[in-house]
Amino acid sequence: MNHEEEVILYAANQMDANERARFEKHLADCADCQADLRMWQSLADEMQAAAVPAPAHLADSALETIHAPSQLARAFRGMIQLLRMQLMLMHNELWVGSAALMVIFLAMALLAARVEVLYFFAPILAAGTVTLIYGSEHDPATELTFSTPVSPWKILLARLTLVSAYNVFLALCATVGLLLILPPQALGELILGWLAPMTFLSALALLLSMWIGTGNALFISYALWSMQFLAMTSVGEWFVFLAPWLESYRQFWHDPALLFSIGLVLILFALWSSGREQVQWHRTIAM
Amino acid sequence: MQIADLAFFWKSQETQSAMTQPVDDFDLIRRMQAGDDDAVRDLYAQYGQRLHAYALRLTNDPATAEDVVQVTLVTAWQTARAFRGEGRLIAWLLGIVHHTAMKSLRHMHQPLDAMEDAVSENQLTPEDQAEAGETKRWVRQGLKSLSVEHRAVLELVFYQGLSLDEVAKVCNCPLGTVKSRLSYARQHLRGVLSRTEEDWR
Repeated sequence: MNHEEEVILYAANQMDANERARFEKHLADCADCQADLRMWQSLADEMQAAAVPAPAHLADSALETIHAPSQLARAFRGMIQLLRMQLMLMHNELWVGSAALMVIFLAMALLAARVEVLYFFAPILAAGTVTLIYGSEHDPATELTFSTPVSPWKILLARLTLVSAYNVFLALCATVGLLLILPPQALGELILGWLAPMTFLSALALLLSMWIGTGNALFISYALWSMQFLAMTSVGEWFVFLAPWLESYRQFWHDPALLFSIGLVLILFALWSSGREQVQWHRTIAM
Repeated sequence: MQIADLAFFWKSQETQSAMTQPVDDFDLIRRMQAGDDDAVRDLYAQYGQRLHAYALRLTNDPATAEDVVQVTLVTAWQTARAFRGEGRLIAWLLGIVHHTAMKSLRHMHQPLDAMEDAVSENQLTPEDQAEAGETKRWVRQGLKSLSVEHRAVLELVFYQGLSLDEVAKVCNCPLGTVKSRLSYARQHLRGVLSRTEEDWR
């Protein structure tokens, strides 16, 4: 160990009695080490003197952080709150009306003993309700909603989730009701049968309602949906050349994977464009 | 140097460490592992002053130092199980302070050495400066002109009273690096000292 290091250990009081005694003998004769010692001692004194009292609150603020709910829990709580708020703001007629319609459709299906009735109406009902969830046209609370810090796409997603969950629930109930005329093993197939077109048609209707209004959205999406049934009826000889095209069009509505993926893209696009009305609304205010 | 001076020097260091309440480190850690909130308060009462001093020495900024200490307490709570009683609790805690402070300094997007001015200058009131005398001035000046790594080593040795092995652990570097940093700091401080002494003349 060199002297340079020994002085440090000595000044920092990290020597045992023997080492200390031995070093002090050297120190008495070594001017260089004495100078070092004085310097380190001044440094230690200065550090001691410069110490400021530690703030008293740090332990409690650390405990606050320790016990704060995790980010995931906070996000989940925020989501539930948003859903509840939107549930209150949305029209009650939406829930009652679509339930009543679904009962009628179910009765029709049972009377006609045809499961296709449900296949036809479930997506129509879903698309219809979805067009009603967005925009000041239907929502007196839109202005209120836009003045909150929640971004519009979150509001839209919350409403879409609520309505879609409700639509799926209604259609499921109706499907179970169809068990009266249906062999049980066809149930899963039937659910898939309406679920995919319902998703796609709802997404399309939502996007259209945001861009061109509810009426137009309903017209276009219903027209697109109904077109696939054209081939089922006799449309006359004039339209025979359309037959292959109609066939592939009908195939499209029976391809769950394709419908789900396009539906997803449409929903994402709708969410992305949900800020549009807010911008317009702010612009109106500014004028 | 008089032997009497030295005796006083050790004595002051001993009283300083005796002033703090003796709390069993093992007990503190055991209670933290068991999720006892009061263990954090007791830990802070016991070591808060030292942790804060080290954080302030590294960051040179009171607000950042507070954040660092708070993060340190949270980290200590979360990783209490990782402390296996190898070495002293204070060294483990200072290691967390060191890591946290260095990380926050890096995040500030500033060259570490450009941070120096904040505290040391600001806290010097005119009366302070008058009273302080020349010793204080050169020490402050010397500390100010050292990099954060060198300040860290000096603080750990001369204020925190850590052994060189412990310093190496806290700084997460080899023992040799600690020694070379001390040696560099010595040369640097002596340079500052001699320049100041020349100024006096």
